[in-house]
Amino acid sequence: MSDDLNEPRSPDDLHPPAGHESPEGLERPEGIDPADATPQATHQAEAYLDIVWKQFKKNRAAYLSLWTLAPLFLLALFAPAIASNQPLVFYDGEETIYPWIRSLFNTAQSSDFVFNLAMLAFIPWGIGALIANHLMKRRHVPGRRRLGWVSLVYLLMICLLVAIFSFQAMRPKNRYEARAFSEEEFRSNGKAHGVYVLIPLGPTEQDLDARHSPPLYRKPKDQWKEANDGYTHWFGTGDIGQDVLVQMLYGARISMSVGFVAVGLYVTIGVIVGAIAGYFGGWVDMLISRMIEIVMLFPTFFLILTLVAMIGPSIYVIMFVIGITGWPSIARLIRGEVLKQRSIDYTAAARALGASHFRVIFVHILPNAISPALVAAPFGVAGAIIVESTLSLLGFGVRPPTPSWGTLLRMGNANYAYWWLIVIPSVAIFLTVTVFNLVGSGLRDAMDPRLRV
Amino acid sequence: MLLIPPTLFGVTVVSFCIMQLAPGDPMLSQLGAGGNAGQSNQTRDAYVLQKRDLKLDKPLLFNFRYFYNYTSDVQNAAFFRLMSEDQISDELVQLAADNLTPEQRDRLKFLRSLGISGFNRELRPRQLTASELRRSGLTEEQWQEQQENRRKRLAGAIRGYLQSWLEDVGIHGVPPAMALLEDKSQPLELRIGAASCLSAMVVNPFVYTYSRDATPQERELVPATWARLWHAQKDEFPPLDPDRAAALQAKLATLATDSRTEMFRRIQSSEFNRNDAPFFAEVLLGDAPLADKEVAAEFLRLYVSARVKIDVPADATAEELQQVADNWQAHYDAAKSNYFPGMAWRVWAIVGDTQYAHMIVRLATLRFGRSALKTREWVFDKILNAVIVSAPLMLMAQLVIYFTAIPLGVICANNRGNFVDRAISLLLFLLYSVPPFVAAMLFLLYFCYGDYLKLFPMERLHAPGAENMTYWHYFLDYLWHAFLPVVCLSLFSLAGMAMYSRAAMLDVLGQDYIRTAKAKGVSGPKVLFKHAFRNGLIPIITLFANILPAMLGGSVLIEYLFNIPGMGRLSFTSIEQKDFPTLMALIYIQAILVMVSILLTDLLYVFVDPRISFDGRGKSA
Repeated sequence: MSDDLNEPRSPDDLHPPAGHESPEGLERPEGIDPADATPQATHQAEAYLDIVWKQFKKNRAAYLSLWTLAPLFLLALFAPAIASNQPLVFYDGEETIYPWIRSLFNTAQSSDFVFNLAMLAFIPWGIGALIANHLMKRRHVPGRRRLGWVSLVYLLMICLLVAIFSFQAMRPKNRYEARAFSEEEFRSNGKAHGVYVLIPLGPTEQDLDARHSPPLYRKPKDQWKEANDGYTHWFGTGDIGQDVLVQMLYGARISMSVGFVAVGLYVTIGVIVGAIAGYFGGWVDMLISRMIEIVMLFPTFFLILTLVAMIGPSIYVIMFVIGITGWPSIARLIRGEVLKQRSIDYTAAARALGASHFRVIFVHILPNAISPALVAAPFGVAGAIIVESTLSLLGFGVRPPTPSWGTLLRMGNANYAYWWLIVIPSVAIFLTVTVFNLVGSGLRDAMDPRLRV
Repeated sequence: MLLIPPTLFGVTVVSFCIMQLAPGDPMLSQLGAGGNAGQSNQTRDAYVLQKRDLKLDKPLLFNFRYFYNYTSDVQNAAFFRLMSEDQISDELVQLAADNLTPEQRDRLKFLRSLGISGFNRELRPRQLTASELRRSGLTEEQWQEQQENRRKRLAGAIRGYLQSWLEDVGIHGVPPAMALLEDKSQPLELRIGAASCLSAMVVNPFVYTYSRDATPQERELVPATWARLWHAQKDEFPPLDPDRAAALQAKLATLATDSRTEMFRRIQSSEFNRNDAPFFAEVLLGDAPLADKEVAAEFLRLYVSARVKIDVPADATAEELQQVADNWQAHYDAAKSNYFPGMAWRVWAIVGDTQYAHMIVRLATLRFGRSALKTREWVFDKILNAVIVSAPLMLMAQLVIYFTAIPLGVICANNRGNFVDRAISLLLFLLYSVPPFVAAMLFLLYFCYGDYLKLFPMERLHAPGAENMTYWHYFLDYLWHAFLPVVCLSLFSLAGMAMYSRAAMLDVLGQDYIRTAKAKGVSGPKVLFKHAFRNGLIPIITLFANILPAMLGGSVLIEYLFNIPGMGRLSFTSIEQKDFPTLMALIYIQAILVMVSILLTDLLYVFVDPRISFDGRGKSA
């Protein structure tokens, strides 16, 4: 980080490299407290994104919803810290073991695995980010740049952890996963003891005695068969007695990751393809425009449904399919912007200075042309979350043992008597979508006041 | 507009690719058993005919089969055709060895070309070293047994793939196979194999009855077939007495004018018996009119059980084989023109006789064929039935959208910034964030389910006894049922459209000419409706073209949740049941509709806004 500060500043540096400007960078400031994120009144000229950030903060609804996203993320991220059937500490009469921490490294559900590592990385990163932020602030690094750095470091940390723990050798052998601790504790007549997290139920935990029980249901004491049966199901239970609250928590992980990965994928594809089409023009443009048109001719949802049904139901397939069907709209926006920017003199100047096409596109033009894509991204995330839950609702999404909001809705749709299975995920989806839409519209107003509705 | 053909081409390519994505052979999944050689002949024949009907036996993009010499391939196929799995796996052991004779190398090449996945790996599995064997916990014998089983599985796969290969090669393999069958210098087993191959390549070589509109070829082939069969078993039947012949002649006259079903019924009734066969044989083999011959052919098919022998068991003698070979030769001579098409056709077939080309032709002529489901309905009828259900629904939804959204937008724009505007905007924003299925499920829960409100029915568009209602009641019942689906369909788009029209109106209201009009003293409503509204709604009007695809497209979710048998429901079920012909037609129709609507939008633009002309927009259209 310090290397970067010592570098001489060129005018180009006002447009940070593309990597810093991932949509997440703007939407995931959870690690920094709001005061720090404020751009300092620096002595340099204000960069475009600083102006956008200032404008964005003026829109109270949007700014508030950006901060509503933070708890949403934290809930999804810290799901195992809130709900898990693996005790933090367990004494089985002979030895003391720590199953919870080991369960985090269980790779059976790979998306959960990534989230778990992200959770583990969160706290050290948060502390580090606060310190780094403070240091950078003293050196008058602008707010968005600090934000970019810390987000990037976080992503790198997660990637590194995933890489490390994906090797069989580095992973703690998870021999506790198969044990039913809660049952063991109940049967041991007080010999065994476990300390659980807030909700002692796991995402795939079933309780066939408590199927379809309404919210606030608590098992009568004479029916207890496990130590954690005394837990109240605040949001009721589902088809095989899964706790809805736990399902919602873990389902948020699926929704969030589908939303972000799919949108990240198609924004990346769209930006690159659109920029190439707009910059080179001629037959390249012609070809890409035709491709855009062709893909846009197909009804998106139907296409997604068909592809997912054919390739097979999996969270990765859903991400991929949303990704490959969503790029044309982004590409079209970017293409238009790049066409506009290409005719401005600075592009010619950059070429005259000897910059390569690659550099001109990605370093000079794109930072000025990317705003429509950034505006479309939050709306896209909302859309992807809707698509994911719709697919699960129709039975083409993630498979039932994996918790997902749409799966809950599917259970509810089978019988409307279980109203909590409809109302709770519905409200969650509605709120999430609203929040993302608010952020999107705030961003749109901030980026281009002319577009303000 | 010049760009429509390439776009259309792209659409067909994409839909073709989507269909190719489907795992495995879309039709084999209908058969269940994985389509191996183990099925009964009849199922297999039906399957092959269906496959050929959809042209799934053709190559994907380019067809060079007319120029390929199949001689050695057919020889190898005949070699493997009648082998049992044990024999094949013995042969595989030899083929896995290092030094092969040229013949064996040829066989190996042929087996590889069948496209069995992992063939090489299975043929020569990695040998375990002694330590690995120890670690795996198997004894030497167990390991050998495992290898043996694997090889047997491979042999089974070879048999299945060979069957498919023969079916796909079809007519191209017939001339070399005939040559092999007739070549007396070849070993007997090989010739028997060739006969067996022929029966796999050609489905129903002999035509026993006329189809509804008999082709000229059939008119020749049917009597020829029966001539062969009849001469062999003429002696089994007693000679016909003249009275009976006269009676039959009279009956024949009425039979020939009956409808087909009636004819079948009468032929099977006690009016006729088996001993009448000589009479009908005479009719068929003589020069009676076609209608009489049709009846005669049907009669013989029903009462004379013999069929032309086209297949032989593996242990047949030379005489048996010769009989079959003669039969094949007869077929070959009769249908020779099929097997040796002209050069023009062969060149055309390179691109014209492929899966892709046939798909384009089917789509262009809207012949979508039959559904792949057991019901075998025509896809076109299926779609038509669904469109009839969803089109009025979607039309209503679109009307609701336009007639609420535009006034809302105008009201907001006119009251810019005050309480009304803010309230409506907030409401619209919230509506915009409600996914349609959330709205639908909450409505169903609140208004329909249980005893609480029960204002609307839960599902379907008609009450159970709707057929007996009067028109008025029927209509009311329909509206009652359609209310919630229409509301759910319109909510989301309504919000977007209202925001859009608000923005458009604001844009216009801010322009100078409005201020000029106001300054001139034009009254408020007049400015709003005469000056601003007409210009402001230009972008909105063009959205009318979207009604078309929306109307015919239906909504998968809403129709799923409300259980309405419309287009969305049809899409859903055809995806769920892997009904590929229907799916293909649906995707294609929707893409075409969107294209048409884009075109209409452009035309509408030019029509509505005189400032825009084709010269300016033609490029981006």
